[in-house]
Amino acid sequence: MGSLTMEMHPVYLFLDPYLIWFYRLTGHAALNFLLGTFVLASLAFLVGECTSNLAMSLVRRHLGRTADEAKKYQDLSMEALKTGDRPAYEATNKLANDAFGQSFFMQLTLSATFFWPIFFALGWMQYRFLEMEFPIPGTNWSLGYIGGFILIYIAAYLILKRLPWIRRIKAWCGAVGHQAQGQEST
Amino acid sequence: MKRNTWILIGMAVILVAFAALVLTAPAEAGKLEEAIAKTPAGTGPGQINPEATKGFMGIPGAPHHFWLFYILWGIWVGWIFSSVGAFGGIMAGVGHISVFGLSDYASTFKKTSPFLNKMLTDSIRTSNQYLVGLSALISSFTYYRMGRLVLPLGLCLAAGGILAGYLVPLLTVGKMDVSFYVGFFGIIVFAVAFVLFYETTPKGQASKKAAKAAAKAFEDIHIRKCAVDEGGAHACGVQVKHWGLTRIAFTFYGQEFSFNPLWPVLGGFVINGISAFIGVGGGFLYVPFLTSVAGLPMFIVAGTSALAVLVGMIVNIFNMMVVRAVPVDFVLISTELIGIAIGSVLGPMTSKKIPDVWLKRIFVVLAVYVGIGYLTKGFMGKSIFPGM
Repeated sequence: MGSLTMEMHPVYLFLDPYLIWFYRLTGHAALNFLLGTFVLASLAFLVGECTSNLAMSLVRRHLGRTADEAKKYQDLSMEALKTGDRPAYEATNKLANDAFGQSFFMQLTLSATFFWPIFFALGWMQYRFLEMEFPIPGTNWSLGYIGGFILIYIAAYLILKRLPWIRRIKAWCGAVGHQAQGQEST
Repeated sequence: MKRNTWILIGMAVILVAFAALVLTAPAEAGKLEEAIAKTPAGTGPGQINPEATKGFMGIPGAPHHFWLFYILWGIWVGWIFSSVGAFGGIMAGVGHISVFGLSDYASTFKKTSPFLNKMLTDSIRTSNQYLVGLSALISSFTYYRMGRLVLPLGLCLAAGGILAGYLVPLLTVGKMDVSFYVGFFGIIVFAVAFVLFYETTPKGQASKKAAKAAAKAFEDIHIRKCAVDEGGAHACGVQVKHWGLTRIAFTFYGQEFSFNPLWPVLGGFVINGISAFIGVGGGFLYVPFLTSVAGLPMFIVAGTSALAVLVGMIVNIFNMMVVRAVPVDFVLISTELIGIAIGSVLGPMTSKKIPDVWLKRIFVVLAVYVGIGYLTKGFMGKSIFPGM
């Protein structure tokens, strides 16, 4: 898109000067890309963690109810297997499957609350780095902006996950959700 | 960490690392520029006016909507996903095909620029794949943790899935006309409508009631025993008894289960094939396939299908995005994902207020409408229903 348009989406146009600043910290292009993308990936991770915790705290009760039902029938089907009661096993297995399906889709949809910032970041990178190619030394292969982002995102994820203040931010986001949930109940 | 978890993580890391190494964005950019260059310039249908406002993927004159519209559609998709299930994936596709006008736009290039027509088709289904498939990735980890893995079964499913994930893009990327794609999408919508409809029929309802009654009767007799025997139960986990080309047998809680490895390979192939071809409707079919067709316990199936989903999705996305370099519009995907995220919260909060059977009936009507609309549009050239 970048080479074709150069017309950034207004949201990206607003964020662009701040985001690109992190790509101009040193005089070395590769290091700049690493640093800038690490910051971008960290922001995507933090925002994703926060929105997913917020969402989870809002729907935990509903999700728990469905998951409990799936677990209940799953345990029952196990018990039916142990006792060799085949008809009871088939019945409970069917119900476990139904409840599992419902719970599966709820969780599947909720994962969007974690993923959206990754695509948002890739959208900005598409404008800025679409034509960039990083050759891998000693090979004929090269790394595009998506590959670079994915690898750096994994690194940022592994590093940030261990930091204690991340847990505090997550807890805060969860608390905001609980508060909203409490207000909804009353 | 369990050995199987390491196997799973190892496989994922190898595939992602390999994918990342050969990711060459310029191929993606070059492909789009090449497609635009091959299209005649002008203001008529099937032409590109370089002066026009840039829309989808930055193509001048391509459909372009206000960002809130994408978010609102995403909320609708997310709400359906978390309340009705599979139909959410269908709606994600309907958004790309009809609501955002991408199919009609692609159709205009059928004669003037077949390359752009087919590239837009690939982009639509890859966008569907991203919206539906990537979410399945994180869910499969969740279910992997709660389930148990029958390694031979997971490997058979994954083998079929990998084969489909390789063959389908190889045979179809750059070759599928948008009308053909829309027609097949209509067939899948009909299949989903049929399943939803069956669940609302007296027969479908009765089978659920009978299952509930049988489960209740069993629960009344055995629930206490279940609690007492918890420790002993753990010792009776999955034990593979026989590995063979025509039969694999294992015991679980003392009961023997066996399957012909051909069936899960075939199941993995078909399920992941649908996912790669249409962009929706793949991974989540593993669990009903294994519990209903193969009769395996949910407890085992959840963990095993997670392995198959994970491997299948990595292969699909790798093939579409990397090997075939299908360009996608990340702005569109990220704004839709914001909507889906909101819908995922609203769904569980509101869906309980509508009876399940009525919710399904509403979507049966919608699915029949969309299915007939797409079938006629895809195979007859014009939808008999408006809005398609």
